[in-house]
Amino acid sequence: MKNIIEVKNLNFGYAKANPILKDVSFEVAAGKFIAVAGPNGAGKTTLLNLLCGLLRKKTGTIKIDSENIESYSVKKLAQKIAVVRQEFVPVFDFSVIEMVSTARTPYLGAFGFESKGDKKIIADALEATDTVRFATRALIELSGGERQRVFIARALAQNTDILLLDEPTSFLDLKHQVGIYDLLKKMQLEKGKTIIAVTHDINLAAQYCDKVLLVGADGSYQYGTTKEVFSWQQIKKTFGINVFTSNVGKENFFLPIGKFAKDSNIKTAEPHNPLSSTKL
Amino acid sequence: MAEMLTKKNLTIKIFVCLLVLILVMALCALAGSQDISLKKVFAGQGEFAGDNIDYEILIGIRLPRVILAALVGAALACSGVVLQAILRNPLADPYILGISSGAALGVITAILSGITWSFWAGSPIAVFAFAGATLTVWLVWFIGRFSGKSRVTSLLLAGVVINSFFSAVIMFLTSIAKSSQVHSTIYWLMGNITEKEPLVLLISGVCILFGIIVLFGICNKLNVLTFGEDEAKGLGVETVKIRLIAFGFAAFITAIAVSLSGLIGFVGLIIPHAVRLVLGPDHRQLLPISAITGAAFLVAADTIARIIVAPAQLPVGVITAIAGGPFFLVLLAKYSRKVGWLK
Repeated sequence: MKNIIEVKNLNFGYAKANPILKDVSFEVAAGKFIAVAGPNGAGKTTLLNLLCGLLRKKTGTIKIDSENIESYSVKKLAQKIAVVRQEFVPVFDFSVIEMVSTARTPYLGAFGFESKGDKKIIADALEATDTVRFATRALIELSGGERQRVFIARALAQNTDILLLDEPTSFLDLKHQVGIYDLLKKMQLEKGKTIIAVTHDINLAAQYCDKVLLVGADGSYQYGTTKEVFSWQQIKKTFGINVFTSNVGKENFFLPIGKFAKDSNIKTAEPHNPLSSTKL
Repeated sequence: MAEMLTKKNLTIKIFVCLLVLILVMALCALAGSQDISLKKVFAGQGEFAGDNIDYEILIGIRLPRVILAALVGAALACSGVVLQAILRNPLADPYILGISSGAALGVITAILSGITWSFWAGSPIAVFAFAGATLTVWLVWFIGRFSGKSRVTSLLLAGVVINSFFSAVIMFLTSIAKSSQVHSTIYWLMGNITEKEPLVLLISGVCILFGIIVLFGICNKLNVLTFGEDEAKGLGVETVKIRLIAFGFAAFITAIAVSLSGLIGFVGLIIPHAVRLVLGPDHRQLLPISAITGAAFLVAADTIARIIVAPAQLPVGVITAIAGGPFFLVLLAKYSRKVGWLK
């Protein structure tokens, strides 16, 4: 399958003396669901901002659909990549449908209004994300989970090949976390979207994503299938914590265990981990 | 599916609001200490000056004043809408970035220097006010550009700093001025709509309407700019360019309004909020409807200022504050339950 994103020898740092991303290279095939995981400050959101053109790389290349990212105008890039950022609340009181409609901005000129085609796309996005029932309500009245669905609806209505999400399930309860990942998987499978999601939840990432980019705080990184990258050794090395691991079925499951946890006396990060062969 | 804003829907709303504005302007032009007979007015000017007093009062005095109030009201309301959007601040008004102090400094300079020439039929006070306002805005933009990454915050800070600095200079100049000069300055600062030459009205009207049309053209981008820099870029908006257009034209029409009528408070703050409370935050309808509402509001306020203590006249700024405050509170009480940012 054709690579829709190609990153080669990417280097970036906010200060010269302190590079965050060092020589990062990876490719993403069209229609795949990729997780970006790693500790705080490792550069996950920075990478997302580089991929959507918000930040300019220092060295290396980023190609979107075989073209250098620099060759895209802001408008053209917004027609290619939609971004769902960590939750934000607008200053003014936009309703759900008004918020989702702003997704068509990259397609409107001066004095622009949504065409019939635009309206159909907006209606489809609301339908697909199950947000039609609160379309006229103000965004601020919705729960965190509902609001996140609205932002995903907006990203869908932007009608792009690529969807970037920055911690889409932070602040959500378990039910809504699973709901958001189910929705994203549906977008991938039914609409062929390429999805890159920054996440702290490696278990959900293992269950839903095809590949994972695990970035370390020291600038190191691992890229491969979830099976290849998510091992207790790798997680211990990247996050500096012990984990229980177990095989749920197709994927491994990881439970972080701290020094003062009830089960902290169990030798967690060992191959003979008592839970490692136990099916939960 | 829920209703979305359409061109047709907006055109109808604008048309209805324009009809109301014309009605308000007509009624206000007829109101005054001197009763006007329309029959006499339609009879024409007459052969000599003074032949038809009703015609001269209505066409020569009241109508230009009503038109001036409408232009200033529209400009201030539009500018308020745009500055609240680009600064992402519901408390922003047309004077937030130092236009008021810049214009006031220009005015006191003109009064103290005793200049008497006129420029395109504009008095030296108006010309100096316009120059002071535009130079200050440029200074604020210039300082805001190099003082930090977060442009919005640095613009606001630059505005506050320049306002304070100019206020100090104004206080110094006031302390060395003669009492008659101080009186003229204060009278101007209170905001007044007075009769202007037709040429001044024509030039200002064309400039203000042009500014409003340009700002209307970027309204869909303004919607997205209220979400912040990153969100706006992600939705394909060239933020620096759009903010420059918005800032430049908002400042331009405000400077014209200030040079015509002094500092009239409240219009640029409450009209955008009142319209937003009733119609929602989509700038494509917020901006044109605010312009028309602002125009009607200031025409009505100026008429009250003109007749309430006739034959004397109050500064219109007094009326906008006294009438605008309670009017806004009524709206707030009625709509606050459905408005999130008030909670």
